[in-house]
Amino acid sequence: MKAKSNDMSVRELFRRKLENATVIPDVSVSSKLMRKLARREFVRFNPGRFNIYYLGGILLAGITAGILIFSQPGKSEKSDNLDFLGIKADSGKKAVSTYINIPAGNIISKKIDKSESKQSEIRKNNLKQKQEPAPEIDLSKNSKTWEKGENVSHVENSSFSKKSLFTGSSAETNKLKGGYRKNEVLFEPSASSGCTPLKIHFSNKVSSSDSCSWVFGDGGYSNQKNPDWIFDVAGEYKVNLNVFGKDGSKSTYSSVIKVYPRPHARFEISPDKAVIPDDEIRFINFSSDGISYKWNFGDGSNSDLYEPKHSYIKYSNYNVSLIVTSELGCTDSLMVLNAFSGSHYYIDFPNAFIPNPEGSSGGFYSSKSDETTQVFHPGFSGVSDYQLKIFSKLGILLFESNDVNIGWDGYFKGQLSNPGVYIWKVRGNFRNGESFIKMGDVTLLGH
Amino acid sequence: MMSDQQIIEGCARHDRKAQQVLYDQYSRFLLGVCLRYATDKAEAEDILQESFLKIFISIKNFSGTGSFIGWLRKIAVNTAITSYHKNLKYRYHVEIEDYVSVETGVTSFEEDFFTSDELYKVLNELPAGYRMVFNLYAVEGYKHKEIAEILGIDTNTSKSQYSRAKAVIRSKLEKLGTLKKIYTENE
Repeated sequence: MKAKSNDMSVRELFRRKLENATVIPDVSVSSKLMRKLARREFVRFNPGRFNIYYLGGILLAGITAGILIFSQPGKSEKSDNLDFLGIKADSGKKAVSTYINIPAGNIISKKIDKSESKQSEIRKNNLKQKQEPAPEIDLSKNSKTWEKGENVSHVENSSFSKKSLFTGSSAETNKLKGGYRKNEVLFEPSASSGCTPLKIHFSNKVSSSDSCSWVFGDGGYSNQKNPDWIFDVAGEYKVNLNVFGKDGSKSTYSSVIKVYPRPHARFEISPDKAVIPDDEIRFINFSSDGISYKWNFGDGSNSDLYEPKHSYIKYSNYNVSLIVTSELGCTDSLMVLNAFSGSHYYIDFPNAFIPNPEGSSGGFYSSKSDETTQVFHPGFSGVSDYQLKIFSKLGILLFESNDVNIGWDGYFKGQLSNPGVYIWKVRGNFRNGESFIKMGDVTLLGH
Repeated sequence: MMSDQQIIEGCARHDRKAQQVLYDQYSRFLLGVCLRYATDKAEAEDILQESFLKIFISIKNFSGTGSFIGWLRKIAVNTAITSYHKNLKYRYHVEIEDYVSVETGVTSFEEDFFTSDELYKVLNELPAGYRMVFNLYAVEGYKHKEIAEILGIDTNTSKSQYSRAKAVIRSKLEKLGTLKKIYTENE
């Protein structure tokens, strides 16, 4: 009940005081903001504010578009001529024009039939002339691959694609029945699933004369033969490989790669300025997507609790690590090196105190009397050996303590010392073996 | 003097003057929100600036049904959350001040005993994770389940973080309270 009412008070206090509290921002914030807005406004298209930059942009876009449009037809004509080099140019050109005019649908098959007859004509020509031996070799090779394929009737199409654009494009229409058997495995990934970031090596089963186009499904692509790809976002990706044969055939194969999300290992050590071995250490877990946790405290002990506590036996530099495992078996780890480095050890003395005039306390102090500073003593952490000496200005030793928990209450031989400046000197060791020697002065204040 | 409606319409037209008025009218309140989520005023002002950019961009989407100030606050809080997520990875070693939870018997705090500056300071000194959970739960009034979703943590983590944050705040307030009392008594 007590805790409950306490809770309400802290909560209520902050809500009442801060929910509608106002703080005056620095003047620079406003000007910075307005600058950013102005920049944004400049980029934003606004027809009401038509200016020279828009005009420039439109002109540039127009010119670029014009160049692209006019360069297109010239190019294709040139390639036609090249392709038909050595073959009856007339019939070729005619064929192309008829073919290109075909819109789509039923008519295609008719036209293709027609064109096939023309092809055979071309082939006859080609064989007769025997301009180069290469096509023949290609032919035999192609027919071999085609024997593997489903439809032998397309052999002719493919074998001619090298020579004419026209037949090439008709092969293109048959691309679904490509150079390799449908569903034939064209590549093998090094793994079919794994955790992000997942690096997969794809080994290509296709002969070296073919060119490849990979689409990895996550926006990435490659034209390498055996690419490596790293999937860094979790998901299911359909990896697609298109193989273009030298004969113009195209084959497709795809495989699904499952990429599982990796959990995130994160933790903080509390207290932040821990003193080893005095403090019990709490490990605050900020990990996400984990179901099991493995802690290694660096001193040979482990835990698989979500948020363990641990007490170390002696001071050392410990590396604390956490391994988080997700439901799908992915892991992430975080190691904090030298988690308790000795920089948290300190000893500091105040420069004034007000002794209790009602009598000596023996130098004992607690955090309560600390608030009223009746005893001269250090604030410290991790002190093991300790010797404090207080001298008067004349060099007389007034007080000596070998216990860091006992300070000087301002009394010397039962008498309250006079207000004034006194000299202190301290030496000792921290727990990590580091020694300290300090001296300074302190002002005794009277009531 | 422009009404909220005029300001909103003006900002939707990207009118610079309306934007300036909106800033002048609400920046103090929103910085008050942002400062609760930041380690210092400079960080709070960064969040504030980011919030205003978002406000100006999306003001045309403000439906006009809910309260305008509530909408503004929500954007500021969301921006603070985004910034917390962004900074999280750089914040493994935040200052967690040593504290011993000693029951001193002080169970309630008088509303006017602490100034809002002091309360802000207490919040600013909290570890980032504690601060987020405490603000969202105690001041914004989110439920632990919602906080867990927002911050991507477990509901139980949110609860335990909240109670720890509370313990740290309480001990800080008590310390501050005793100090303040001593000073007032001495005067």
